[in-house]
Amino acid sequence: MNNWFKSGSPWVWLSAGGVSISLISVIGLLWLIASRGLSYFWPADIYQFDMTDEQGKNLTVIGEIYDRESIPVSQLVHLDLDIDSSAETIERLLIKTGNRELVSLDFRWILVPQINKTSLPEDLVVIERRTNGNFYGFIEEVILDGKAVQQNQMTQLVERVSDFQEEIEALQTSDIGAINYQIERTRLKERKHKLDGTLTDELAQSFKSKVAGLRAEYEVLEHALMGLREKISRDQIVMRAMDGQKVTINFEDVLQITFNNQLGVFGKLKLFFSQIAAFITDDPREANTEGGVFPAIFGTVLMVLLMTVIVSPMGVVAAIYLHEYAGNNALTKLLRIAVINLAGVPSIVYGVFGLGFFVYMVGGSLDQLFYAETLPSPTFGTPGVMWSAITLAILTLPVVIVSTEEGLSRIPSAMRHGSLALGATKAETLWRIILPIASPAIMTGIILAIARAAGEVAPLMLVGVVKMAPNLPLDGNFPFLHLDRKFMHLGFHIYDVGFQSPNVEAARPLVYATALLLVSIIVALNMTAVTIRNRLREKYRMLEH
Amino acid sequence: MISVTPKNLSEHNVKLDLNNLSPEQVALEIKNLDLYYGDKQALQDISMSIPKGQVTAFIGPSGCGKSTLLRCINRMNDLVDICKIKGQINLHGENIYDRHTDVAALRRKVGMVFQRPNPFPKSIYENVVYGLRITGENNRRVLDEAVEKALRSAALWNEVKDRLHESALGLSGGQQQRLVIARAIAIEPEVLLLDEPTSALDPISTLTIEELINDLKKQFTVVIVTHNMQQAARVSDQTAFMYMGNLIEYSDTNTLFTTPMKKKTEDYITGRYG
Repeated sequence: MNNWFKSGSPWVWLSAGGVSISLISVIGLLWLIASRGLSYFWPADIYQFDMTDEQGKNLTVIGEIYDRESIPVSQLVHLDLDIDSSAETIERLLIKTGNRELVSLDFRWILVPQINKTSLPEDLVVIERRTNGNFYGFIEEVILDGKAVQQNQMTQLVERVSDFQEEIEALQTSDIGAINYQIERTRLKERKHKLDGTLTDELAQSFKSKVAGLRAEYEVLEHALMGLREKISRDQIVMRAMDGQKVTINFEDVLQITFNNQLGVFGKLKLFFSQIAAFITDDPREANTEGGVFPAIFGTVLMVLLMTVIVSPMGVVAAIYLHEYAGNNALTKLLRIAVINLAGVPSIVYGVFGLGFFVYMVGGSLDQLFYAETLPSPTFGTPGVMWSAITLAILTLPVVIVSTEEGLSRIPSAMRHGSLALGATKAETLWRIILPIASPAIMTGIILAIARAAGEVAPLMLVGVVKMAPNLPLDGNFPFLHLDRKFMHLGFHIYDVGFQSPNVEAARPLVYATALLLVSIIVALNMTAVTIRNRLREKYRMLEH
Repeated sequence: MISVTPKNLSEHNVKLDLNNLSPEQVALEIKNLDLYYGDKQALQDISMSIPKGQVTAFIGPSGCGKSTLLRCINRMNDLVDICKIKGQINLHGENIYDRHTDVAALRRKVGMVFQRPNPFPKSIYENVVYGLRITGENNRRVLDEAVEKALRSAALWNEVKDRLHESALGLSGGQQQRLVIARAIAIEPEVLLLDEPTSALDPISTLTIEELINDLKKQFTVVIVTHNMQQAARVSDQTAFMYMGNLIEYSDTNTLFTTPMKKKTEDYITGRYG
């Protein structure tokens, strides 16, 4: 036994145990969010339950099985059920029934003993809609351009409508949006001239005619839009819901019609991937509880990239000063301790600082100096993507400084001396020899910064993230990158969908799916940085003495 | 007793009178040099003239100050914060410790090679042209020529001419040291300082470098620090023996090793300490 201890095996086992526990937790975490998140996209079977309720009434429930659980019989005594009293527990199912216009809640519990018959009718359809969530039911009638047509024309119909939709979308966001943007800019230019006192009658006239021209263009586009809307509203589908009610749904509202019960494995797989693609590329709908998360992905990535662009030079320059130029005295040591301690400040504190200093002080002053024409509505004096990036850059600055300094101090002095002895100045040595050799360490700092920043939510809620941003920070209107705009973020999206949404039950899978996406994006960003670092490492591999 | 006989005595130039060199024979003149590391005096009142176009060796036991003295010549000691220097070193009659000296320009005139090979983690080509690029030379043709010339002078050209753009870190230790020498001579310095250039190398590489030093003195004034007396005897024309921060004896190599004037020198070269 004593020998066994001396041999060191217990410590090997102990460390191996530690490694396994960490690995298992990471894999478990990924597995959980992946399975829960991905199951959201799998087209579920749609069941029809014929059942008798406690009043002896027959009814039909149609929907997807969402959850099942066992509850003690004692909880249900007051319902006066006709069930086997010897059983202790009773199973119940949570069914997603959709059809929000007919019932207020699109989920309901049913008790398994009350079910008389369970079936999977092939002609059951699920319609994914823009508003009011899914509709489950049978197709009664398809109306094309005001006339009833064969049901088998429906696929063409869906395509025709989605073409219209795309046209409408393009009109609304690009063309009409661009005109609105130009009108607003013209108004601001006029106001600026007025404020500067340089507005002549001539200028005023030219502005007026420009706006008039834009307005006319706007009218034309709006007319086209109305025409499209009109056309699209003439296509309808009449559905029969589970209780026999007939509901007319405009095709305008329809995103996708699927016969889930007719689909084979391949059909389901195809649908599964197309749903994932839609989730990644679409805008959110229905208070974020449905639709995709594209703006949030875009916002997260853009903010992290901006942050990287800001933090890397700042951190590297600070580290160079601390390591190369600052004297080795008490003040430098104090600075170093301060930098390290900054890393421990809770992130929300950075958020408060960012709001108070960047948004209100710096942004407010910027507005007064450069954007006086838009006041009192603020341009930079309000939370936005730039302030978020800067706040997170400050938050991650210590990480970059510490790793860069570490990298600088690992460089053998022979490299420095070699360069200096060839007549290079200290600055030339830094630029040509030291920084390239230290670049893998700098990349390590950037990797850590990205990992930290991409997952940070709390400070962003104060300095720029919103539940729903009307525009992306990047669009086709000059100057293309709008750093003053608010943005959406996956981390905040998870919080919003999971805790702030009106329909928590429906949103739960979305929380997992979004979490999975956030993790994937952070991993992707990190892998990119790690690849770059490994390249650099290979290139600047040090002598192995 | 180690018997050390300088080889090729006949090849040596006409014996120089080191105390009475004419100005055009002098490459470097060290005058009353004192050096302190903090409170500790590391060099005491060193005065010597280093002749042009010859190899001068500094020998002595560890810690005697020979490397410190060498580093004074291109002001590498400036990098040590606590180092204080008094006295003069004159290059072309100008004191390099003058306040107005451009240290970078000085180091271009006085090149240096260190104990361990320290090639930069760049290609062989980029290592050699590093000093030229610093001076702003970017003309491809000029650089190409300089690379070939320097590598030929450092007896490395034939070994690396086909892989100039591969990493210098792939070379052997001896090749790396010759590459570092090529890098130093590519900027055509007047003086080349070698700080124990073979102490990290195997005997064959050492031999190659020693032969190289013999060739280099045709173009440069070479100052070499070595702890290896045979090496000093083999490669140098003048030898200075240092002990405890003092220059004990300085004369032509033959004289120093055969008929030393001072007791300390004799004790050292006969292996009584060191």
